[in-house]
Amino acid sequence: MCGKISRMFRYILKRIFIFIPTLVIITLLGFLISINAPGDPVERMVSSAQSGGEVGTQSVSQMKDKLFWRKKLGLDLPVFYFSVTSYAYPDTLYKIGDKPEREALSRLIADHGNWNAIEQYHNGLIRFCDAQLFFKPDTNQLKGYETNKVIEDLNQIKFEALSLKASYEEAVMQAKINKIQTLLNKYSFLNDSKRLFDQVVLDHQNIKNTESKWKNYIPKIAFYKNNQYHRWLFGDGGEFSKGIIRGDFGTSYVTKQPISEVIYSKIGWSLFFTLLSVILAYFVSIPIGVKAAANRGSRFDKSSSIVLFMLYSMPSFWLATLLLMTFANPDVFHWLPASGVKPAIGYPEGAGLFEKIKISFPYIILPAICYTYSSFAFLSRTMRVSMIEIVGQDYIRTAKAKGLQENTVIWKHAFRNSLLPIITVFANIFPAAIGGSVILESIFTIPGMGSEAIFAIQNNNYPMIIAILTITGFLTLVGYLISDILYALVDPRISYK
Amino acid sequence: MEELKKDISIEETQADFSFRKYAWTQFKKNKPAYYSYKVLVFLAIIAIIAPFIATDQPLYCKYKGVSMFPAFSFSNNCEIKDPQTGNIENIQYDIADWKHMEAETIIFAPVAYTPNKTDYDNADYVSPGGKQIFITAAGEEIEMPTKFRHWLGTNKAGEDVLSGLINGTRVSLTIGILSMGIASLIGILLGAMAGYFGDKKLQTTRGSFWTFIIGLFFAFYYAFIMRSFELADGFATSSLSILIELFISIFIFTAISSIFYWLGKLVGKIGFLSHKVFIPVDSIISRAIEILISMPLLILIISVAAIAKEKSIVNIMIIIGLTSWTGIARLTRAEFLRISNLEYIQAAKSMGFKEFRIIFKHALPNALAPALVAIAFGVASAILTESALSFLGVGVPPTTVTWGSLLNAGREQFSAWWLVVFPGLAIFITVTIYNLLGEGLRDALDPRLKK
Repeated sequence: MCGKISRMFRYILKRIFIFIPTLVIITLLGFLISINAPGDPVERMVSSAQSGGEVGTQSVSQMKDKLFWRKKLGLDLPVFYFSVTSYAYPDTLYKIGDKPEREALSRLIADHGNWNAIEQYHNGLIRFCDAQLFFKPDTNQLKGYETNKVIEDLNQIKFEALSLKASYEEAVMQAKINKIQTLLNKYSFLNDSKRLFDQVVLDHQNIKNTESKWKNYIPKIAFYKNNQYHRWLFGDGGEFSKGIIRGDFGTSYVTKQPISEVIYSKIGWSLFFTLLSVILAYFVSIPIGVKAAANRGSRFDKSSSIVLFMLYSMPSFWLATLLLMTFANPDVFHWLPASGVKPAIGYPEGAGLFEKIKISFPYIILPAICYTYSSFAFLSRTMRVSMIEIVGQDYIRTAKAKGLQENTVIWKHAFRNSLLPIITVFANIFPAAIGGSVILESIFTIPGMGSEAIFAIQNNNYPMIIAILTITGFLTLVGYLISDILYALVDPRISYK
Repeated sequence: MEELKKDISIEETQADFSFRKYAWTQFKKNKPAYYSYKVLVFLAIIAIIAPFIATDQPLYCKYKGVSMFPAFSFSNNCEIKDPQTGNIENIQYDIADWKHMEAETIIFAPVAYTPNKTDYDNADYVSPGGKQIFITAAGEEIEMPTKFRHWLGTNKAGEDVLSGLINGTRVSLTIGILSMGIASLIGILLGAMAGYFGDKKLQTTRGSFWTFIIGLFFAFYYAFIMRSFELADGFATSSLSILIELFISIFIFTAISSIFYWLGKLVGKIGFLSHKVFIPVDSIISRAIEILISMPLLILIISVAAIAKEKSIVNIMIIIGLTSWTGIARLTRAEFLRISNLEYIQAAKSMGFKEFRIIFKHALPNALAPALVAIAFGVASAILTESALSFLGVGVPPTTVTWGSLLNAGREQFSAWWLVVFPGLAIFITVTIYNLLGEGLRDALDPRLKK
């Protein structure tokens, strides 16, 4: 016995060990999705803080803000432990903060292959932009010009120069350069800027003259110890992020709250409905399956088979909408509330747990039905099949031949053995219930992770999406682990190897 | 039982007995499955002819002596010269007001509405049995003529529900073909390899193994990393350009990896590099399957669909296909494990056939049955996933009319029951027939399971 327990313990440890790579891959996938998400997160954080502002003008405080968020979100680091690029790429391209700028540069490298010339051009362009940004003509210089026109032209130059930084197509770049040159030539007081820009133009020519496309054909692997993924997993020593292994999923793009806080406040309802549905499904389906199998071919068996099959094919969102349409519709029956899990005004003050349950009960009925029925149909069918298999076996016939009562045979002898398959399918229904919560929670507006996921997707709140993906992946794995352990506990024939 | 035996013995005595015929007769005996098959054929026909049975362009029209077939025509306009005045009238098929045209003869499609076009006179949830109005060319308001009726009502914007349903049939059947096509390609290939080779059968030399691994790195580099901007641009433009760019990349990938494969054969002959190693194909593929089934697939699909720059139903189908091959792979693997130990495979091996030939020509045809069952069930769940996504409005462009998006419109107005009942029924029926088909196939193809 002792040996058996230790063997089982080892088996469970081994299962947990297999889960680790799976979890790593889930986090990797989540991370991959988040870094490929469209848009620049820093831009988003800053612009949601200070909406408005002129095109092409960036105040100093905004620049500081950007630097802060870049550091806070960890975007000043390389993406992963290693990167495969071409020989033409520098190792330090990730240091360029602006996402469109970085992409423009890497496209230029892919087109021309000479980083030195491109870097020179880019640095020259930055110098020019900086000079332009803080350039203000004094009244002496403005003499002889129309003031409004001058300001308009200067803004135009800034705008073109900034967008030149993010351009990579030859024709577009040339057009922008020409435009800036004509504008610069208009005013004599812009001579300094003009000299700077002439250098940029020369550097731009130089990129084309010293092309080395062959470098792109040589792959190169660069390794980085400190990177975004590492930081995302393990944190940066507590300065901005503690890492997801310590439960820190980063900051929500929408509310700027820590994501873990949002999720901890939402996960309760999701788990409640998932577990409730699984438990209910087991309680309802076992008697039905057993009864159908015991009276095989009877009217009960046939009719329950048909109904279960139809329930199994029924889309949950359809059933949910139909139920809402019928039982929460003022025009038909207004028996139940249509959305939420508690009254809009909240629970009355000082309400005990029992009272809270009583108040929430009508809200829970419809979602609970929708959560339960599909796994219940699946379970009953599985139960029936496995029971039929067991009832056909010799030892059952022997028991019957001994003159035991039908009920004793079914419940005492057959039932226990037929439980095995139904336990293993726990591994199937638990993830299905978690996945289904996305749809049902958003139909019934349950404040859980599923509706949060939809909300996050509608608002492009990627850190939240990734956090939910990782957590649901983790829960799914736990479901598998539980079913493995249950299976090992119930069936003495299983060897733990 | 007695009868069944007789059946089989009669069929066996026939000279042209084949498993396929036997399975077909078994399948036909399963009435629900057989009728589902018939319904499926009917749905497929509807899907194919959908543009001709639900369109506002007439099938045939004779106007001022000129015959036109607008619904069938590839061009979009027709110039008609008035014989008396000599004026040229240009009729643009897609925007012409056919219903008010004073044509000599005009034959409309059975459902005279195009899915995305609004009927302003009957907007704001007109019910199927309720009053529908039609405004004649003279401006008179009359009861809707039978041929223009909205048989299943309209939605808020006044779009015909039946027309949307008919065109939605296309989407749901395309999912079956595209996603399950991708899934079965991956699933059958990987399952066959895992089951046939196991962990101890694919033997190679150390040299060829490492050469091939290096080759894969180079192939990946030249096919995907170096072409990453081309691929990104392709994804940003259109579905066609995605396919072209992906095809080029896959071609480069295959070309380079096969060059290294042949190179590896040479390298494997040198000294210590010719040491034999086994490739644990089964372990690798089984781990991959295990990992994929532990993923919350719906949430994964939603997340991937959410970051796609271009919202399109084809992307969704591809994502569903790429993530739902595990069931097919597992069943094919199990079948291959059984088959690869059978005597006829041993015989084929002893005759010195190439492994490629044994797998695809000898083993695969006998291993397809379980995969077919899994595909039927897979289509059902792919349709459910797609309709759930379009119901939630994730990753599907708002202009695409699907059953899920029609159902979603019904959520806003519960009194418009027809928007909930009919699209839901369509999804339900389709999913049910695929599930019944799957059960029927399982019973027909695997007599061991039939009890």
